[in-house]
Amino acid sequence: MMEHLWAFLETFQLEELLLWFSQFETPHLVMAASALAAGIAMFAGVGPGIGMGVAAGMAANSAGRAPGEIRSVTLVMLLGQAVAATAGIFSLVIGLLLIYTNPLVEESGSWVILVASTLGAGLAILGAAGQGIGQGFAAGKGVEGVAARPKWHSAIVRAMLLGQAVAQTTGIYALIVALILLFANPFV
Amino acid sequence: MEMDFGIEKVFTIEALGLEVTNTIVVTWIIMFLLIVFSLWVRKNLRQVPSQLQVVAELIVVGSHWLVDNSMGEGKRGFAPYVMTLSLFLVLGNLSGLLGVRQPTADLNTTFALALITFIMVHYHGIKAKGGLGYVKGFFEPLAFMFPLNLVSEIALPVSLSFRLFGNMLGSVIIMALLYASASFIVPVIGHMYFDIFAGLIQTFIFVMLTLTFITLQMGDVN
Repeated sequence: MMEHLWAFLETFQLEELLLWFSQFETPHLVMAASALAAGIAMFAGVGPGIGMGVAAGMAANSAGRAPGEIRSVTLVMLLGQAVAATAGIFSLVIGLLLIYTNPLVEESGSWVILVASTLGAGLAILGAAGQGIGQGFAAGKGVEGVAARPKWHSAIVRAMLLGQAVAQTTGIYALIVALILLFANPFV
Repeated sequence: MEMDFGIEKVFTIEALGLEVTNTIVVTWIIMFLLIVFSLWVRKNLRQVPSQLQVVAELIVVGSHWLVDNSMGEGKRGFAPYVMTLSLFLVLGNLSGLLGVRQPTADLNTTFALALITFIMVHYHGIKAKGGLGYVKGFFEPLAFMFPLNLVSEIALPVSLSFRLFGNMLGSVIIMALLYASASFIVPVIGHMYFDIFAGLIQTFIFVMLTLTFITLQMGDVN
């Protein structure tokens, strides 16, 4: 098995691959990278999906325990889920920017750097996935809190929103790096 | 930094060499509206309030309530800033409904506001703890935590400004695409989520984070 792998790696010539790539024009390569990076970027949607599902599960559980509070439970769930969706929106923004207005397509320079920057922007925004999971979990806990102590509704919601905003920080850093790679890239 | 996605120059003031963008124009309009509103309300103060006065009283009482609840009693001095900041951010974020580019979708605006927060946090930190106590705060809980504390303090205005900017830029880009692809009825839903919901939530979060960071830096709330 290992021998086959080594044999394959020996026949695999990186230089040939790079030569094969360089037969295309630079804008076309960057466009191809944009398409790929846009697809990669949307993987970040996994995070908010999990998070919102967790919140929904906790909300369903709480609704079962406190049937009288079903309205405020649903309201807090939707509020928390909408905040948790920001990670998905960040990745959507980067994905749409890559598809419609990737400024690197018009740049002239080494294609390796342009392609890597484009792919890097798509990869960077994957970091927003964690934010979605965390915010969704916070939303779920907020729902449980409201169901257990409906009197403290506004205090619980305020704490939840504040915590979710701080949990968003890493996703924002991912967005910053992705935007810098696209619009203010120091390498090109 | 060329992150001026969709920001346009409107005109140039030759004498000062200033380039006036649509962000600045919209900011001026909001400032004008707020100043006229407050002057008008002040001039027409009555024992039996008019409708506009009721709105103004509601805003003032609301800001007092927010400061009391998040900073503790006796911190009403922050209420005017909180009120002005909230009103500016609400009008700025909702201005997307009128089809103009939100001033808060410009990093210059949000970073300026975050810088005010940053300065307030450290000014009140030094004032509350004294110079020595303030410096000591950077070496807690352990001395070698100093670089980490420093980085997290610098990260504060960055994350605060980019949070608002990122959300509003998302609104600008997605709304532009919605208008280009499905310009009938569909953008209404987009406006409801991206401008009204996200705009109000982000206003609240910006204001609450400002208050919370100041309170934390000032130390014991009670």
